Amino acid sequence: MGVSEESLVPAAARASAPRQSSRSRDAQRHTWLIAFPVIALLLWAVVYPNAAVVAGSFENGLGHWREFAASPADREALRTSLVISVASVFAALAIGVPLAFLLGRFEFPGRRVLRAVATLPAALPPLVGVIAFLFLYGESGVVTRALQRTLGMEEAPWRLKGVGAIVFVHAYTMYVYVFLFVSAGLERFDATLDEAASGLGAGMWQRLRRVTLPLLMPAVAGSMLLVFMNALGSFSAPYVFGGGLRVLSTQILASKTNGALGLAYVETTVLALSAVAGLILFRWLDRKRKFASTGKGGRTRRVIRSRRAQLAMSVLAAMVVIILVLPHLMVVLVSFARDGAWTTQVLPPEYTLENYRRLFSERELWKPIINSVSMAVVATAANVVVCFLAAYLIVFRKFTGRRLLELLLALPWAIPATAIALGLAATFNRNDPATLRILLVGTFWILPLAYFIRDTPLVASAVESSLRQMDPSLEDAARGLGGSWFLTMRRVIIPAARPGLVAGALLAAVTAVGEFVASVVLYTHANRPISLEILAQLRALAFGTAASYSVLLIVLVLLMTLAARSFEERLA
Amino acid sequence: MRWIATMVLACLAFSSCSSDKRTVLTVYSPHGKELLQFLETGFEKVNPTIDVQWIDMGSQEVLERIRAESVNSQADVWFGAPAEAFDRATKEKLLQPYKPTWAAAVDAEGREEGNHWYGTYLTPEVIAYNSDVVTAAEAPKDWDEVLDPKWKGKVLIRDPIASGTMRAIFGAIMARSMAQTGKPDAGYEWLRRLDVNTREYVLNPTILYQKLGRQEGVITLWDMPDIATLEQRFKIPVKYVIPSSGTPLLVDGIAIVRGSKHPAEAKLYYEYVTTPEAMLAAADKFLRIPARKDIPADKLPGWIQAAQKEIKPMPVDRAVMAAHLDEWMKYWDANIRNRGSKQ
Repeated sequence: MGVSEESLVPAAARASAPRQSSRSRDAQRHTWLIAFPVIALLLWAVVYPNAAVVAGSFENGLGHWREFAASPADREALRTSLVISVASVFAALAIGVPLAFLLGRFEFPGRRVLRAVATLPAALPPLVGVIAFLFLYGESGVVTRALQRTLGMEEAPWRLKGVGAIVFVHAYTMYVYVFLFVSAGLERFDATLDEAASGLGAGMWQRLRRVTLPLLMPAVAGSMLLVFMNALGSFSAPYVFGGGLRVLSTQILASKTNGALGLAYVETTVLALSAVAGLILFRWLDRKRKFASTGKGGRTRRVIRSRRAQLAMSVLAAMVVIILVLPHLMVVLVSFARDGAWTTQVLPPEYTLENYRRLFSERELWKPIINSVSMAVVATAANVVVCFLAAYLIVFRKFTGRRLLELLLALPWAIPATAIALGLAATFNRNDPATLRILLVGTFWILPLAYFIRDTPLVASAVESSLRQMDPSLEDAARGLGGSWFLTMRRVIIPAARPGLVAGALLAAVTAVGEFVASVVLYTHANRPISLEILAQLRALAFGTAASYSVLLIVLVLLMTLAARSFEERLA
Repeated sequence: MRWIATMVLACLAFSSCSSDKRTVLTVYSPHGKELLQFLETGFEKVNPTIDVQWIDMGSQEVLERIRAESVNSQADVWFGAPAEAFDRATKEKLLQPYKPTWAAAVDAEGREEGNHWYGTYLTPEVIAYNSDVVTAAEAPKDWDEVLDPKWKGKVLIRDPIASGTMRAIFGAIMARSMAQTGKPDAGYEWLRRLDVNTREYVLNPTILYQKLGRQEGVITLWDMPDIATLEQRFKIPVKYVIPSSGTPLLVDGIAIVRGSKHPAEAKLYYEYVTTPEAMLAAADKFLRIPARKDIPADKLPGWIQAAQKEIKPMPVDRAVMAAHLDEWMKYWDANIRNRGSKQ
């Protein structure tokens, strides 16, 4: 197992060998009958466009690469991108780990509310979140102005710009990954180990350092990797707060705008390479510490009994809840504020239903919403079919292309969305059957394809983890009893995969419906999604309308979550 | 599974049944919703078989989009961008030549020799200030006064790399230096002093307007119609000064996109938005100064007549500009940007 190969595979997929299944030649042929189209599709949609970008960066030999190396702006962009990504990782850890411990290990008043809102930042669409931060913590934002007034300061206490601002936003939106991973790790954590260490006389810090943290290391490393990747490819925050700050993801767009496409390809390649380097580094860190824990773990929440501690915890929890909910509230507030009236006041002085009225009287209001929903549905449906087949192959079949398939499924995860979009734009811009190109640029289908690629790793790993919980002999048993392959699929395997399918599909659909980064490169007027409509409203200075669109998007995401939940409950 | 399939079909059916059978004409334009909607309504009344769909985006963005879509053009008309952007698009063969019926009504500055684009509006650049904080008497009257130390940390500048307007202003300053001394040094020094006073290079116009309105900075350099629109339409407290020593007068143009799928309709729209009536309406309602010289001066709204007396076009050598602008901007980006604040 090569380092790079293994390192590209999501944690859930690692280590477990393919399970045995019937090995007749018939089954082999059958496997390839499914595997071939799946692998071919992924090669064509994921590898080909990115290879085209890499090839494009060499279109005049090393010329563009030299240009990149000689440009101080590009060197600065690369450095800033890396600094921001590393800082975001630590910031997310600093919030996510204590919060996971607090919620996982202690029982206190307010715990349920805090648990309920802890993942809320993930539900804020990227562009919307950034704008909400501008209104809250920007130089003339609500929190900033309130503090300035209270303290009677001449100047704003801080300025939301540069690296600090971007890391701040990243910490808010990305700590959720750390929180979820570490919480899950704590759930599985065997508390008796901790007790044993305590019994052997280890103090609290020693236990934390020698027992708890090493056991949580895989979860922590996995989430660090996710944050690093997301921060590296992050586009909205630098785009809005950059103020002249250069990072690679925005530099790519700038080069493209200036017509330096070759340079944009080099920048894209460098960005993707940095991501892959990060991936390898984290996998290596992860492997250095590997401990296996047996036992099922259990709930070991300590109830806080001291009144004073209880009070302190509740106050702390309330504060965290407020901070987490503020951006959502801000979006709602702005959606009711009258545009232009809000100048130097702390809060918008005038409120109106005008923004919503304008929204609903707009002739084309539903167009972006219908676009986003239908593109998300098309992409998610494709994700469900392809990722289900792929996960099925990986979990139940042994064949030579299995490693390749795993790699292909994880690859889009390592490639920043800007790079994916640029690759698609460079590849599918003409009909040329000889080179397997079809014309998708400027059509409806380019965005669903981009969403499909972006969400593939997500859905695949969700389905995979569901399938791994199924006893593989069930498939053989069903076939042995005379069930056809389709019957076995329908009655045995799909039901086993269902929880993962539903969860994966929901996540994919939610991401696709609010997608911004790839959309901004590839959209056309006919298929413009909600996020681009929000951007257009912002451009037109209609902050209120942009905010009411954002509220609509948040509601849409909530509705989808509820629908998926009730769907899952009906079936279960 | 069936549930998902039903959803897909429902959505596809929903999205594909467009409401009418009119020909869709796509216009890319930075001119803003109000003006575009106004022209659309008027145009569709005269041409009931055409459905105008405009996309509002920055002029650099339009250029980039048209370039990316050149293999499968989505747009028919490109309405609005500084001449520099149109010249670049012409060089990259992205535009379809068209000679409008009124071609003789603009002078050589206002058109491309090969008829690839024609001027529509003239845009003077101005100094704008937040009128809640700065009185008309205090406001800088000319470019050099913006450099006064009293404005240190109070000037907001739209990031000039991506902005046609800012490139034009910086270019004019540099061209002035070249004309006076034959060297770029004085121009760079001017930009360096501006950098000292600059609080922030703002990413896009919207955030610039917002920050200016909310007093994060109180002075900016921008174009007259946009500033006037802010004041009149959005009630943001900003006013402008026309620089006394002269100001660059940007020519804003229109062109038909090469590969347009509806060339006949595109020509109709091209002609419609440049009729004297449409020009006068745009001047009246949306503060655009017509580029056509055949519109009788007395028909123009009062503010244009007044402004025309005040505006002294800055003589800018377009050849020098075209030859050096990229190099100047590159130098500024590498050696001047954000250096002043560190002193």
